Amino acid sequence: MKTPIIEAHNLTVLYGRKPAIWNVDFKLPEGQVIGIMGPNGSGKSTLLKAIMGVINPTTGYTKLYDQELEKVRHKVSYVPQRQEIDWDFPASVWDVVSMGRFHIRGLFKRLTSEDNDIIKESLEKVNMLGFAKRQISQLSGGQQQRVFLARALAQQGELFLMDEPFAGVDVATEELIVDLLKDMKSKGKTLVIVHHDLHTAQSYFDHLVLMNTRLVACGKTSDVFTDQILTDTYGGKLTTIAKISQELENKEFPIRHR
Amino acid sequence: MNDFYIILTACLVAINCAIMGSFLVMRKMVMIGDAISHAVLPGIFFAYIFSGSTSSLPILIGAASSGILATIIIEWLTHKAKLQSDASIGISYTLLFAIGIILISKFGANADIDQQCVLYGELEYVPLWLEPIIGNFYLPKQTIILLIVSVIVLFAVIWGYKGLLITTFDENYSLSIGIGVGFWHYFLMSGVSLTTVVSFESVGAILVIAFLSGPPAIAYLLTGNFKKMLVLSCAFGILCSIIGYYLAKSLDVSVAGSISVVIGGVFAIVFTATTLRKSKIDVISN
Repeated sequence: MKTPIIEAHNLTVLYGRKPAIWNVDFKLPEGQVIGIMGPNGSGKSTLLKAIMGVINPTTGYTKLYDQELEKVRHKVSYVPQRQEIDWDFPASVWDVVSMGRFHIRGLFKRLTSEDNDIIKESLEKVNMLGFAKRQISQLSGGQQQRVFLARALAQQGELFLMDEPFAGVDVATEELIVDLLKDMKSKGKTLVIVHHDLHTAQSYFDHLVLMNTRLVACGKTSDVFTDQILTDTYGGKLTTIAKISQELENKEFPIRHR
Repeated sequence: MNDFYIILTACLVAINCAIMGSFLVMRKMVMIGDAISHAVLPGIFFAYIFSGSTSSLPILIGAASSGILATIIIEWLTHKAKLQSDASIGISYTLLFAIGIILISKFGANADIDQQCVLYGELEYVPLWLEPIIGNFYLPKQTIILLIVSVIVLFAVIWGYKGLLITTFDENYSLSIGIGVGFWHYFLMSGVSLTTVVSFESVGAILVIAFLSGPPAIAYLLTGNFKKMLVLSCAFGILCSIIGYYLAKSLDVSVAGSISVVIGGVFAIVFTATTLRKSKIDVISN
């Protein structure tokens, strides 16, 4: 692997006494679409938050572009889980997306016409320009997700960390996000995505991080998306796994036989 | 002229509280104003003991620092001790308030602190202490202090608008782009503490909370734009102060109480009107 874009060393995060992630070590390559998967409560979101400095790890550290987060923050965009904020906040779509420019321009300076162009362009990419003046409280789940993506795009970063962008969105939005990811990858951006749907994992991701509090596997999707590793990751939920592998077989995906 | 002094004082309190309250309401922590207005007591006591005077400035500084101390304790209990935020507020301000009462009853028998005044304020007596401004133009001392605080609050909010807005709207995202969420929290809390301390001296704790929560809540029902919400809540604060004052005058009742009742009444009217309008829109769109 060339210089890894994200590396984690002995990363542990405790909530109280309960570990959310335990001693996680991995390196992720540049320019790929990378999925972070695991069962509910396996620490996927916590991992993203620890990488972004939203929460402080109990032990261990992460590096981005082989540097401290503080030095490369301008290159990194974070898309939080949509449920984390109050969508009844009195703000328009434009207001939210313009926040993506706040820190680049500086909190105490006005946004320039260049910023406005970037905001417009970001809204166009997620097909929401027509909704710029819309109240955020009047958006559907899929539209909310697009607004969050547009805000991250407005930062014009190189590395995107997205927390469950596909959760609870409509089909049109899912397709739009998939196209957007492909487009971004073709421009050399790196995308790290927390995801929960095993059906789509193989088609969306080049690289996978499978975790269940501990790291189970990290590697190329073709190498790590196997029955054995999925069973290790999802543990007791074997029936689900069985159902999924059955379905994958039905679709004639080349996965190992039991 | 007395009418003018009292209304002006109430309006200044209304503006300060409406601005701070709008941020607090959106952060779901408006009761922190209640906490601060009670937690100031030990600060007032120590300021009185150390300065030996009851003049405004040392008392004000003592009260404001004690208020900020309360917000620090609340923040620590919520984030480090993982206690629910309302429980943190309840524990910390009752503790500080009680310490204040014990200190005053033990060592400050002659301290000039009136329980009545703390709760209901002394709006009616504001015109008693006049200070000359220019020539024949006089303003009450309280009003002058409030005017200074209003200027500070307005400048602080204009200067820090983006920081306050983004940390109020989305804390995790703010952290991810490297904005000091803690700084903006205490920046706001200092403003709230200052506002509460100078306001409750003139209008009492009840009206401070009514001003912090009522006008922003009314404005929130009427607009989907945060800047408009700030302006509207100031406007409703002023409107309620004027109506409340004349209501109190005609019924010969407490001004602070009357304004609080008017705020509640206006909220009920606006709430009913917006709910009716919404259900009408639903019928049409169906």
